[in-house]
Amino acid sequence: MTKFGIEFVPREAYWKIMYYVIQAERGGFSNLWVTDHFNNRNVYATLAAASIYTNQITLGPGVTNPFMVNPVFTAQGVATLDELAPGRVVLGIGAGDKTTLDTVGVEMRKPLTAVQESVAIIRGMLDGESVSFQGDVFKTAGAKFLFKTRRIPVYVGAQGPKMLALAGRIGDGVLINACNQKDVELAVKSVKEGINEAGRKLEEVDIAVYTAFSVHQDIKKATKAAVPPVSFIVAGCPPEILERHGINVEKAS
Amino acid sequence: MVDLVDESRRQALLEKLVDFVLATKNDEKMPSTLARSLLHFWQQDRLMSKQGLAVLLEAGVRLEPEKTLSALSELNLKDLEVKIKEDLPQ
Repeated sequence: MTKFGIEFVPREAYWKIMYYVIQAERGGFSNLWVTDHFNNRNVYATLAAASIYTNQITLGPGVTNPFMVNPVFTAQGVATLDELAPGRVVLGIGAGDKTTLDTVGVEMRKPLTAVQESVAIIRGMLDGESVSFQGDVFKTAGAKFLFKTRRIPVYVGAQGPKMLALAGRIGDGVLINACNQKDVELAVKSVKEGINEAGRKLEEVDIAVYTAFSVHQDIKKATKAAVPPVSFIVAGCPPEILERHGINVEKAS
Repeated sequence: MVDLVDESRRQALLEKLVDFVLATKNDEKMPSTLARSLLHFWQQDRLMSKQGLAVLLEAGVRLEPEKTLSALSELNLKDLEVKIKEDLPQ
């Protein structure tokens, strides 16, 4: 069955976001995602408030990344959230966007490996293990929680074909960041390739697609409002997607 | 003060207040206790109750006093408009 989710960018005061969060649950949305960017309100503080003002909706960061937030802290964040909203928490994690990482001088090193290793560390910690991990990007030496936790579904945020395939291989779900129908079709194909590579079944992976709408009675105002998020999305798009739409890669970056 | 709003105009007043309270740029004027009260009544779906509308009206007056007075004037809620004007700091 198709479900609908909604994403919040916590740029507004918390009480405004919560007003719309309550409205979203009342309106029947199944999932609530909150973006994770340093220049907006904190994702976990926002989600904690959302967990208190809702009763049913599934919620989680959509998406965080392992470069800005070490995976052990991401695991801690979602585990704590799961105490506030038991059984309603999901984790969205991707490679992050280059624009934001560049702003704070954080290198996006080996994004595929970083996401894959992060998911392994996060799952291990949520499973209550003492995680000793020697990866190419992340290393832990007996990282373990001092409180009880449980497994939380992990959605891999992806745009490029390799990350999409990784999402198919390891994700409980995938958050496809694509608005164009052709992009979505190709993205789903890549996810399925990953699913097949891992010998998994299609129904094991929840496929979700992020799409954006700008709504206003006045088309000029709707278009104007769309410019900042579209610019942001384009700046973070993999080159193959930009080329597919005839967008100059150099200008986009 | 909400007693000065007859039931037939409550919905219209609520819609106007919600619109500009949510669109305000004066977030810093919203006391945290008032924000929590507003969300409490909204969560309970009781913003239309007397207590809920009172909270919303207070938010309107604090965050957007001119727009609040203008909304009251548009809805012909003269008594309430006068009362709020009296209470506003000069």
